[in-house]
Amino acid sequence: MRVQLTMALRYLRGRKLRTALTTLAVVFGVAVLFGMNALLPTMLQAFRQTVLATMGKVDLVFTSVTDGPFPADRVEAVRRLEEIAEATGSLRRNVLLPPEVASRAGVNAVTLVGVEPEVAARLRHYPLKEGRFLNAGDGNAAVISKGLAEKLALAVGDRLTLPSATGTTDLEVVGILDVPSIPGVEEVYIPLPVAQRLLGIPGQINVIEAVVKPGVDRDEVKKAALAALGDLFKAEPPEMGEELIASLRMGEVAFALFGVMALAIGAFIILNTFRTVVVERRHDLGMLRAVGASRRAVVGLMLAESLLQGLLGTAAGLAAGYGLAWVLLLTVKSVMQHYLRMEAIAPIITLPNLLTATILGIVATLAGGLWPALSARRVTPLEALRPVVPGAYERAAKKRGIVGAVLVVLAALALVTGNFNLTALGSLLFLVGLVLVAPVLVSPLARLFGRLLALIFAREGRLAEGNLARQPNRAAVTASALMVGLAMVLALAGMVTSIFDGFMSYIDHSLRADFLLMPASLVLGGGNVGAGPELVEEVREVPGVLGATTLRLGTAAVNGLTIQVIGVDPRTYPQLSGLVFRYGDPEEAFAALGRERAMIVNGVFAAQRGVRVGDVLTLQTPAGEREYRVVGVGSDYLNAKLVTAYISHANLERDFYQTADLLVMVEAAEDADMAAVQARLEKIVQKYPSFVLTEWRSFREEQERVFGQSVSLFNVIGVMFALPSLLAMVNTLTINVMERTREIGVLRAVGSTRRQIRRMVLAESLLLGALGTAFGILAGLWLGYVLVQGMNVSGFVIPYYFPYTGILVAVAVGLLIGVGAAVVPARRAARLDVVAALRYE
Amino acid sequence: MALIRTENLTKIYGTGEAAVVALDHVNIAVEKGEFLAVMGPSGCGKSTLLHLVGGLDRPTEGRVLLDGRDLTSLRDDDLAALRRRRIGFIFQFYNLIPVLTALENAALPLLLDGVKPAEAHRRAAEWLTRLGMGDRLHHRPDQLSGGQQQRVAIARALVAEPDLILADEPTGNLDSRAGDEIAALLRRISSEWGRTILLVTHDSRVAAHADRILFMKDGRIIDETRLTGTGEEQAQALRERMEAL
Ligand SMILES: Nc1ncnc2c1ncn2[C@@H]1O[C@H](COP(=O)(O)OP(=O)(O)O)[C@@H](O)[C@H]1O
Ligand SMILES: [Mg+2]
Repeated sequence: MRVQLTMALRYLRGRKLRTALTTLAVVFGVAVLFGMNALLPTMLQAFRQTVLATMGKVDLVFTSVTDGPFPADRVEAVRRLEEIAEATGSLRRNVLLPPEVASRAGVNAVTLVGVEPEVAARLRHYPLKEGRFLNAGDGNAAVISKGLAEKLALAVGDRLTLPSATGTTDLEVVGILDVPSIPGVEEVYIPLPVAQRLLGIPGQINVIEAVVKPGVDRDEVKKAALAALGDLFKAEPPEMGEELIASLRMGEVAFALFGVMALAIGAFIILNTFRTVVVERRHDLGMLRAVGASRRAVVGLMLAESLLQGLLGTAAGLAAGYGLAWVLLLTVKSVMQHYLRMEAIAPIITLPNLLTATILGIVATLAGGLWPALSARRVTPLEALRPVVPGAYERAAKKRGIVGAVLVVLAALALVTGNFNLTALGSLLFLVGLVLVAPVLVSPLARLFGRLLALIFAREGRLAEGNLARQPNRAAVTASALMVGLAMVLALAGMVTSIFDGFMSYIDHSLRADFLLMPASLVLGGGNVGAGPELVEEVREVPGVLGATTLRLGTAAVNGLTIQVIGVDPRTYPQLSGLVFRYGDPEEAFAALGRERAMIVNGVFAAQRGVRVGDVLTLQTPAGEREYRVVGVGSDYLNAKLVTAYISHANLERDFYQTADLLVMVEAAEDADMAAVQARLEKIVQKYPSFVLTEWRSFREEQERVFGQSVSLFNVIGVMFALPSLLAMVNTLTINVMERTREIGVLRAVGSTRRQIRRMVLAESLLLGALGTAFGILAGLWLGYVLVQGMNVSGFVIPYYFPYTGILVAVAVGLLIGVGAAVVPARRAARLDVVAALRYE
Repeated sequence: MALIRTENLTKIYGTGEAAVVALDHVNIAVEKGEFLAVMGPSGCGKSTLLHLVGGLDRPTEGRVLLDGRDLTSLRDDDLAALRRRRIGFIFQFYNLIPVLTALENAALPLLLDGVKPAEAHRRAAEWLTRLGMGDRLHHRPDQLSGGQQQRVAIARALVAEPDLILADEPTGNLDSRAGDEIAALLRRISSEWGRTILLVTHDSRVAAHADRILFMKDGRIIDETRLTGTGEEQAQALRERMEAL
């Protein structure tokens, strides 16, 4: 109704500061929700464009289930199919660049792609910047991307030297492609026979790509092709980089969660504001009822007011969110360009995101306004006719408090059970319970903290404590808002600390050898060229070296799921390094590896497949189906995230035909001259371009540094959570000051100084901050524990580490917010004109 | 036939020891077109009576009949509608909505009733002009004097063309000159526009404008008088009777 809107608008205008503060709460939530989620599609799109540019029109991609090579004539099986327009085989492998080239160019590896020149050009589009594409008659010719050409400073006609089975191979650059590379992958196209020779696998390919005839069902063709190829093949989704897309999706969920949390805090703020508004406007509302406004009309007025703020805040929030997305985009732009070579132009606004942000913004406002609006129903017409009773004391609702206490106890019981689902549910119950219990706890806690505060603020502390106890519900809602914010900060801190410490302990336990000869990319897979037995032999002969052990790699499939198989030496590996065990006895397990077809699976494997110690699994190996018994669950540092099984070198050779060493761990003697050992090893490594020598300590430091960087991202997120809490506090304090304008006038009239008034507000703010911080720390520890448990359940095992620093940070943030929130309201209170304040209604 | 009739109207505040009997079996009737004043000392139950008659509060016992219809049995929304359409209130403290202009305040019952704003504002302006407020339509309450605010409140009471006007100490917050003007206005509302008025006051100068006067004490009607003369002498006579009580 129009009259309600008119009134709502006028009332809002009449209290500009409060309106601004309340609206800002909505703005913030909407901005986070909208901005963050505008950013992710942008990155996704940039990524897709990059990938799609090189994917061309390929419809189907087939590989072996083991991801290993297979005879080139298998292409014929696909090519023969009626519905296939074109099919080609290629050989794709990562090849590490020689270290001196790698360090100069900032590229560790390139992806060598051996293609059938004419056929490949029909399947894909290769836009050229310079030179030409490969021809049928080409020998050692290569076509490279412009990104790689820039990095290696190569032009058409220059020479590119790659490590190969026969030592090194020189290639002549004949063309430079005008395409953005796939993130993190630099492709080098060479004729297929050259690739086979270079990699030492003549007659083999490892990818079949096909284009289907127009108008046929791709899935049907895919089935037919798989049938023709046989059991050992699988179809790849044509889109690559799924892992990156998946983590961006995860980010989307996380950001949505942040936005919703920020909005929830916004709703708390609205709730508080409107509760005051109803009390303050009792008189007017009663009047409206007296002249014939129905209850619904009164509720409508209050809702109209919150709706107006919701609309205003949402609109501003959308604009601010767009700005936020821009700022973030500019910040990550250089990172994206540098590491991923992706170009993101502008934030992308999707309709669903726009709608979600808009609807949630308005819904949150209305939700916050609803309860107070409904309480306005209870205002009777007589309210208007009674004289105003100033500063009525609220009573904390005992009943709700009891419900809350019960929830908290249930939550505690859930925690004790150790069951993850119950614990997770418990953390929610705990939060809700705390919100309900908070009002009852306000008075005693205020008294407790008040006593501390009295040390600093002798008289004002008492007043502040009384002021809080007078409005326990409002104090509780504010403290709850702070609680939610701090709980998030602390939960994140808890998780980050645990991940950080967890990874470090993985490094300490599973990679603790003094020297590592490892692939520069730090990923064991990806077709790194391994080393024959001579390498480790040579290493063992170096004076001062106590022992060395190696890791080898194969791929297998379990029920269609590709897994990574790591070969270890059951005797030397546990001595020099070892796994972090979750189930099973390490000694027994390694002994079993050496004795029989036994494997240790890592946490992700165990969780995803529901595998237990003692199970016998059938692995698809290059040698056929083989049964392996699970003898333990454990992980090492490098493979904690990938589905991995550890078996013995002997079994890897027997069933996977793999004997190349991909990683060598070296233990030096206690009294050895480390520098000398390092120098000797350095010499050896020079002969093996795919390996780099890493000294353990510097490796650990490097990893620590990388982690440190991502931790700083969490700090930014932490600030994002703290901000709305600050807003909530400022809002409540401002309301408190406004509501007590007359009282403050009296205080001033009887001789309080401005300074005393300021300190009174500050004391109140600090009290509120202390309350929220206390609640927030409790809830945050819990949530953090649950998050870490959640990761463990998904197989990514990390122990829970108590976030001591996180608590310190939370306390600091809480106090900071306490002081910061008081600045504006305190100034306002101190500046009040005494005479005007006394007349204030 | 009486427009308003109360039957054994009783209101008790609180319970047990603390119970206060504000109204004690009150039976009154206000005829259509009549200007009735209820006089009595402060705290005798006048406001309580008015609130019950206006449907702002529910009685402990007894009934209020408006045109023979029992108000005490109506649902809250029906009571609200009744207050919008058939009853106009005038209070001691004006009770205007501070954020609305004089015109909007006066139009409020119509606007709440769903009348189109243009029409509601036209009718409100008409009443404000009749009450001498034509040049103050767009002022907010805090820009008006007490007497002017009370005129706006009266316009608000009349805008929906209700049969019944209830006035509670309408001059209680005004100086004597403004008070006299408001009292004269009430008289005009009765004689010129034919509204039924129930006025409660302890001020004999205002009551003197009524057709009939009931005297109240400790929640009971104890006496009644019909006025014939005019002006000062009547007021004087009333003052003496009040003091006698
Ligand atoms: N809400 C209430 N609760 C308790 N007592 C009340 C309430 N309202 C009025 N009273 C008591 O009822 C009596 C009549 O009050 P009221 O009708 O306001 O008198 P009047 O308007 O004649 O001054 C007084 O004694 C008053 O104290
Ligand atoms: Mg009264």
